[in-house]
Amino acid sequence: MRDVSITILVPNSLKDLLRGNNQATCAGKTIKECISDLDSKFPGFSNNILNEKGEVNKSFMIFLDGQNILALNALDTSVKDGDEVSIIPFAAGG
Amino acid sequence: MIIDRPDSHFIFVFHPLVMIGRKYTLYEGKELTNGEILQYWGKWIVLGDKTWLDELAKKLDPYVEDEIIPCIKYDRKPPENLGLKEAVMMVYCDKRKGDEIWEILHQHGVNIKAWVSERETMEMWLPGGPLLEQWITSMNLSEEEARINREDAKARLGYIFEHPDEIFLPWEQ
Repeated sequence: MRDVSITILVPNSLKDLLRGNNQATCAGKTIKECISDLDSKFPGFSNNILNEKGEVNKSFMIFLDGQNILALNALDTSVKDGDEVSIIPFAAGG
Repeated sequence: MIIDRPDSHFIFVFHPLVMIGRKYTLYEGKELTNGEILQYWGKWIVLGDKTWLDELAKKLDPYVEDEIIPCIKYDRKPPENLGLKEAVMMVYCDKRKGDEIWEILHQHGVNIKAWVSERETMEMWLPGGPLLEQWITSMNLSEEEARINREDAKARLGYIFEHPDEIFLPWEQ
């Protein structure tokens, strides 16, 4: 069975999250699982993206196929093979 | 038409007729109401350095002239007072045309897909909203100046929420 592969994309100003890369792949059934998988590849990723309550850090906006995940099911939003998830600084959305 | 005035923080791309009074907040030729703006209007967010955004603006200008993209604005330099290290371009449109415009952006090298509705943006700039409060803090405003700015934001943006049937009137930025 083919592994599920989700692409995470970040702008240059957030490349530090992915150790200097603009994109990475991860696996998971939800955004939350993807973040956990990315944390295993880029230690500290989860602590940057999430706050102490385990919610999306207010410094970021996360989008699935262009839609803010907070308008979907937040971190429990389902993802499927081939999906693209984008992360931008929160203030850029203003 | 690219409007680049050095005294402005933003660089704009408008259809030439907008410069003589025509609105850009249209959907299929019809002016949008405040309610429709809140329901349908928004922007694709593009981040990058100014050189790249300048080049992108030139590539997208023909789509604005052809009235496919209503308007574009982008930072002359990163708004560091808002904690940003890259300049931001906002490609505005009605979300009913969003997919078509996304394909244009993607063809011209935009990979990060981020749609922010105008409703969401306005809520961030209302009193107590995260962006207005961050901006007030970053500008070191006095209590009185902060109060005036909050009242102005409430009046300007609150009017849009409270008068959904009126035609939307954009303001100069």
